[in-house]
Amino acid sequence: MPPLEAWEKVYIDGEDFLEDTHNKMGCVVCHSGDNTAEDMESAHIGLIADPSEDNCNTCHREIFEKNETSLHTTLSGFISALEARGGNLEEGSPLATAFENHCQQCHLSCGQCHVSRPDEAGGGFLSGHEFKSTPNMKNNCVACHGSRVGDEFLGENEGVPKDVHRKKGMQCSSCHGQELHGSGELAESRYHTTTAVSCTDAGCHDDLYDTADSNPQHEQHLEDLACQVCHAVDYKHCYSCHVSIDEQGIPCRTSEPSVMDFKIGLNPLKSAERPYDYVVLRHVPTCPDECVYYGENLLPDFDAQPTWKYATPHNIQLNTPQNASCDSCHGNAELFLTEEDLRPGEVEANQGVIVPEIPNPSY
Amino acid sequence: MKRLFLLAIGFLFLITFAASGCIDDVVSPSPGVEVISACVTCHTDKEVLQELAVEEEEEESEATTGEG
Repeated sequence: MPPLEAWEKVYIDGEDFLEDTHNKMGCVVCHSGDNTAEDMESAHIGLIADPSEDNCNTCHREIFEKNETSLHTTLSGFISALEARGGNLEEGSPLATAFENHCQQCHLSCGQCHVSRPDEAGGGFLSGHEFKSTPNMKNNCVACHGSRVGDEFLGENEGVPKDVHRKKGMQCSSCHGQELHGSGELAESRYHTTTAVSCTDAGCHDDLYDTADSNPQHEQHLEDLACQVCHAVDYKHCYSCHVSIDEQGIPCRTSEPSVMDFKIGLNPLKSAERPYDYVVLRHVPTCPDECVYYGENLLPDFDAQPTWKYATPHNIQLNTPQNASCDSCHGNAELFLTEEDLRPGEVEANQGVIVPEIPNPSY
Repeated sequence: MKRLFLLAIGFLFLITFAASGCIDDVVSPSPGVEVISACVTCHTDKEVLQELAVEEEEEESEATTGEG
């Protein structure tokens, strides 16, 4: 996504916004500042560049109240993951400082999906201050969710095709909608929300269970394998992220180069919605000393959570190497996460997700 | 006397009722009058913005590696 020049970020072009309901109220109602001033500096005194927090709720109360507990607003997924490993995020703690410096920028306001590009991606109007009810895939969703999900979906990983849903012309918003505003309750992760989408509950593949007998692999495995086990292909895994402050006082991070791979493991999030025995897992770049710049042992219960996490790679294919035949998967040890795949220091954390025994070949 | 009193009350009521029309705590443009906003004047003028817009200094560290 090419960056916008400074003037482009604030340029209102066309008549659409000027005719929009939001413009009828007048700019200063939301943005403050002085709309009678004759110079920029005077006009911008008291200006609120992103007025989402105190204005959208005036008219969009129901959505706003739900969104206050959404993952994008609260970053509760990050917080849950750190606290699950014993992290102390009380105000003023070393880990809270690290969080503020390195994680908080992912916080989104209403405007950063519906009016502008996210601040983290440089900001700037999507389309001349128009209010977009549906965020733009490339300028909003993938602007942040680019290096994993975005690259998968759009086929940006070398040698890996784009998701079939993208080939059919679908976008993020084809499946992901109001659930992004949250349910009104804090969620531990995107897989813990009560409104998360699923393949068989999105109005497209709802008949899978009814037609299972016409597909022997579905008949055998719909209940015990997540869809991605058969229909995803290689996806990114990240390792060893460390955060710090550089010599100029700017927050920075380092991580190892990502690795493309495909790993099936045991389901760490078994539930009524996800009853599967086997799922695909993605290695996340957390490590015990990821915040060592801020203090020692800030994640004292590091092993309480696996580093191979439940994953839903967005690179779905109808035909994959592992679903070509039963024996393409059964007996193929390379596909499965085992103790040999674990790095030193992560063995204990991942005991619950490694496959104890490779499923036997059919012969 | 009573009649004078009632007349005075009525007169006071009339004055109060008339005065309330002068109290206006909602400022809104009169119908048919266009409100010119300096905000829109500048922010719809490409040349003005190109002249005035200041590029924010990016704070991305050169020490950062990896994809994030």
